[in-house]
Amino acid sequence: MKVELQINNSVSPNARFVSWAPSPCRIRMTNTAGAVLTPVNVTITGVSVASGGAVVFRKGATGAFSSSLTLAVPTNGTSVPFFVAGRFGRPSVNNGDVTIEARANLVLPISPGALVGAVKVMVRVRKNANTLTPGERDRFVAAFAQLNNQGAGRFADFRNMHTNVSSPQAHGAAGFLPWHRAYLLDLERELQAIDPSVSLPYWRFDQPAPNIFTLDYLGSSNAMGTVQFGQTNPLQFWTTDGVQGINRRPLFNTAVAPPGLLNEAQTLALGGPGNLYAAFRAMEGNPHGSAHVSFGGSISSIGTAAKDPLFFLLHCNVDRLWAKWQRLNSRFDAALAASYDSNPGNPIGHKLIDTMWPWNGITGPPRPPTAPGGALASSPCVSAPGPQPRVRSSLDYQGSVNALSREGFDYDDVRFA
Amino acid sequence: MTKKRKAAKTSTSARKPKRAAMRSTRAAMSVATSARGTVKERVAALAEVPLAVCESDKDLQAMLKVLRNKDEPVEVRLAALQSLAAAAFSVIAFESCRSDYIATLREVAEDPNPEIRQRVLGLLAREKDGFAQKKLLEGLKNPEKALVPPEKALQLLSYDVHAEAYSLARDIVSKPPNADAKREALRLLAADATSAPLFEKLLRDKDESAEIRQISASALHALKPEKLQEHAREMLLDKSEYEDIQATSLTALTQFGDDAAIADDKALLKSVDRLSVGKASSKYKQSARRFLSKYGQ
Amino acid sequence: MLEVVTTGAQSEPQFAALVDALTADRDRHEQLTDLLREDHSLYDQCGTATIVRMRGWVLLALGRAGVSDASLLFVLEELDAGTDPYLVAAAAHALRSYPRPNPALAPFVMRALTQIRYRDDPVSFEDYGEYAVASAGTSPVRELLTTLAWLGPHARGVLSEVESLRAQRGGLSRKLLIDVDRTLEAIRGADQVDEFDTETCCTLPSGLRNTISWAFSSRRDCEPIESTVFEDHTGELITFKEFFRGQPSIVVFFYTRCDNPLKCSLTVTKLARIQKLLEAQGLADQIHTAAITYDPAFDLPERIRGYGQNRGVRMNAGNRMLRATDGVNALRRHFRLGVNFIESLVNRHRIEAYVLDAEGRIAASFERIHWDEQQVVDRTIEVLKEKSDETMSEVSPEPADPTARRKTASLMFATLASLGVAFFPKCPICWAGYLSLFGIAGLNQIPFSPWLQPLLIAVMLINLGSVWLRGRLTGRMSGFYLVSAGAFAIVVLKMGLGWEDAAAWGVALTLAGSLVSALGAGNRPAAMRALSVPFALFARLVNSSRGDSPNDVE
Repeated sequence: MKVELQINNSVSPNARFVSWAPSPCRIRMTNTAGAVLTPVNVTITGVSVASGGAVVFRKGATGAFSSSLTLAVPTNGTSVPFFVAGRFGRPSVNNGDVTIEARANLVLPISPGALVGAVKVMVRVRKNANTLTPGERDRFVAAFAQLNNQGAGRFADFRNMHTNVSSPQAHGAAGFLPWHRAYLLDLERELQAIDPSVSLPYWRFDQPAPNIFTLDYLGSSNAMGTVQFGQTNPLQFWTTDGVQGINRRPLFNTAVAPPGLLNEAQTLALGGPGNLYAAFRAMEGNPHGSAHVSFGGSISSIGTAAKDPLFFLLHCNVDRLWAKWQRLNSRFDAALAASYDSNPGNPIGHKLIDTMWPWNGITGPPRPPTAPGGALASSPCVSAPGPQPRVRSSLDYQGSVNALSREGFDYDDVRFA
Repeated sequence: MTKKRKAAKTSTSARKPKRAAMRSTRAAMSVATSARGTVKERVAALAEVPLAVCESDKDLQAMLKVLRNKDEPVEVRLAALQSLAAAAFSVIAFESCRSDYIATLREVAEDPNPEIRQRVLGLLAREKDGFAQKKLLEGLKNPEKALVPPEKALQLLSYDVHAEAYSLARDIVSKPPNADAKREALRLLAADATSAPLFEKLLRDKDESAEIRQISASALHALKPEKLQEHAREMLLDKSEYEDIQATSLTALTQFGDDAAIADDKALLKSVDRLSVGKASSKYKQSARRFLSKYGQ
Repeated sequence: MLEVVTTGAQSEPQFAALVDALTADRDRHEQLTDLLREDHSLYDQCGTATIVRMRGWVLLALGRAGVSDASLLFVLEELDAGTDPYLVAAAAHALRSYPRPNPALAPFVMRALTQIRYRDDPVSFEDYGEYAVASAGTSPVRELLTTLAWLGPHARGVLSEVESLRAQRGGLSRKLLIDVDRTLEAIRGADQVDEFDTETCCTLPSGLRNTISWAFSSRRDCEPIESTVFEDHTGELITFKEFFRGQPSIVVFFYTRCDNPLKCSLTVTKLARIQKLLEAQGLADQIHTAAITYDPAFDLPERIRGYGQNRGVRMNAGNRMLRATDGVNALRRHFRLGVNFIESLVNRHRIEAYVLDAEGRIAASFERIHWDEQQVVDRTIEVLKEKSDETMSEVSPEPADPTARRKTASLMFATLASLGVAFFPKCPICWAGYLSLFGIAGLNQIPFSPWLQPLLIAVMLINLGSVWLRGRLTGRMSGFYLVSAGAFAIVVLKMGLGWEDAAAWGVALTLAGSLVSALGAGNRPAAMRALSVPFALFARLVNSSRGDSPNDVE
């Protein structure tokens, strides 16, 4: 007897990635040899390698998670649904470092506990960039360098999405956070197409992050702000706009956090007594803008910021802060006024129902003249937010309100529930 | 209230961090722009509320005045500049501030304080501002007029491939006033297609510094990628070559090489095999092992 | 146009002095316009920022001298696709000296306003090359609003856009609200309505006619560049002759480091849209497309491939991204490209797209102002048809003299008219011959044929009526029955039900029925004679309009 485990309801090995938000899965018998006619009880458990990820299960869309789950699997090949999620606090380090095993329970003639199916999965979440393992770091850096190639790669689109011309689509109004969430997701999916074990790390700018600013990671700046890389770091070949290298001059000691930025607790309190998004979005100034200008160099001006890979780590933290605020205050539901700033005077691209440029492909005033990159990258694991996300698509990224809205990413320190 | 909402509310109140004490925007701006406060207090207040200038013309003018005023402490002026630059990210909200901001940046680009000059010219250069480019080019041609050192001017001009800096950069490479200026001139020329032969020469010159050779490798990757691949291979086969540039070569081949050709290249694989067990530093050996594992050994 | 004798070695103060001298001399105003050509030798080896200063000063000088129909195009070009605050401001300023305010100008001003509003940097018009260090002066948005106010009721078409700008949260700069209100007042102003010139409403200013030139008579032979070698996006080498001769082509110019998204990035994006339009009309295999880089030294195959891919361009044997391996100079001369360089890097260029005929000659060019994809496709289709016509009549290239061209045209018309009379079907057999030969059966395989369908059905009915009449007169209806069966096969079985084989049967039956009817009337020699001439003519027409490989056409 054999069973097939479909993670994210897919037989594809590319879909075997989970996060804190539960992934819908299926189990079905593919070979009934030796099985009896009645459904066979199969127990699924997660087996982790040392310091690897860990998973938990539940039968339905709601209810408590447990470390194992017993399911009655019919012998006629009918699928039985279940859900799997990463165990909060136990993300993976490497692809496939946790195995979901299925064992048959005390059904003769199969020996009790016999392994009848197994798949390797990864609990893939966005982590603190400062504490990545060397392996995680190297994989991330290599995927990023390849996405750029000699400035001719797919990264050019991401660079062109964030320029002076396009900036009004995403800055200085309510859509700032939703737009950047989609932007990061698009980039992360492109990185994952190169190496599926990579997720975008975040730079916690309110904490010391000395490991990021090193030769082997995002480079070490000399006194002038020219970023230097180690000889084994592929980012030494970084090119944007036809210009080689990165300029980034920290105006603070990188062994500590930059001064003057609101810390996490202060940021999470920006929503005021009503925990309103309209107030919380002031974080676009401090800490977001303040983090950008804690350096000289390209990251400190909006038109050139996306030339520096650090930009994406900075924004990943901005997005994490929003996610954390959403979780703390249950602000995932677009129907809830406090979840968004729906001022009728919002410019186009900043209203909840608007589609977002460039993924919508709409060009010409008031949108930018071209729409680089086309539709948002798809994922083998989830269907949301679709090729042409709307502002509101970004809110329910974990699928808390509607399971189908789950976008397939999570932060290591933001729970699902 | 539904059960779900109640649960959410309970968990919210249970986990919510203690609200940090924050003063009002008005109070912060008042401290920031008043000469009565200490430098530390004013710097902290300026950092606190960058978006205040977007809401009020009065606050904008007060902030710009601090930046322009040479009698203010430099730390406070720099904090004002940083706060304005942070606000400039909120493009739509900043629309009313933009023209005053740019005019003021141009005004203080010639400030007596070198740090202010450097930061302001950087902000303008990233906007491809003609005024800043003109000042930087003038300074390179006539060092007496220079607002920043030549290496900084070259770095800032490199934000715009269309700045007319290539011939000046070539002059600096042939007669560098210092090592930094040579490096920055080369980085600028890495966008100049006609400089490819220069980079080939520098890459293979064992007398050049590791950094210059590394920049040359990167420049070649952009200008003539197939040439870099050729040189990288040759440098790995060259037993007398330095290990640092060999590591760069290995990285170029591993990340951007023709996988099929490399896998068939017995001589190259043998050479990398030697590197993986030789006297090289552990990091380079690891890189060599990664290469070998990728290409099937 | 008179050429200003200057060299690229001129200093900026010398240039400014030249511009001032030209402005002061009424007889030399035309030369100011000439200074706005990108390929002018004065701009050779200048940096982009220098060119901005130079062109800005020329635009301001035009403002003093008065913008003419000839120079209007350059002013509108800047409003249409400019991203530099100084140049846009100068163009807006200059436009107000145009003697004929016109509703067609308003969309250009409005578009510029939308495009530049978040880069509303202060500018100074006082002295050559001066940068504003105080915001008290003017700015592009301020100039554009003033120009809209100058247009007054002529700008009614964009009134709602200005109103929504005023109403928007954040809106335009707070400092400019007074200007916006003044502009709105001027546009709404009732006192000027009487002066509203309805005749000029919605027509393009005459200066704009230069944007599209339709080279009937002056097609330059492409021989000088036939051997120019290109490397395409895959690294394959191909000569100009190999790629551009044999079918019409659409060519655009670009370079990957262009930092104006309204120019190269948009041009290549629009080329991708053109490809889709061609594909939708089943013409993708009959018309080549190419994007050629101005910057071949930097734009290597991988780079242009990436640039095309990122903008949705389809790349294959007939659609290529190209770099000239020997540099861009030969192309520059041949196309008279609106571009100049500092070393090998572009310092300024115009928007330009070309339609080449099957001989590789420039048949149409679209310059400066954003072109419409459908318009380019339509022009190319005309060239494609022209190729068919040429193949049919084997005409030699047209004479260069316009008078001679008119003579040739009238001669051709007379010839065609007499041919039409001669070949007008005069008997049922002729009708049948035309029908079968024109291939009504294969109608949907002929490009742009839908309009032919009703015509040919009508022709078929006339034939049917004619055979019926003849049958009634002779008392032999067998021909009519055969023709009816043929018509049924073609109209019902082929066109209605899509049964392909019915077409051949239909044609055979129609032909047979017509022959029976005609022969039965004892008119054999005349019928045979009538059949032979149109056969030859239409066989040629059908073959040439189908192109070389009719089977590829969907």
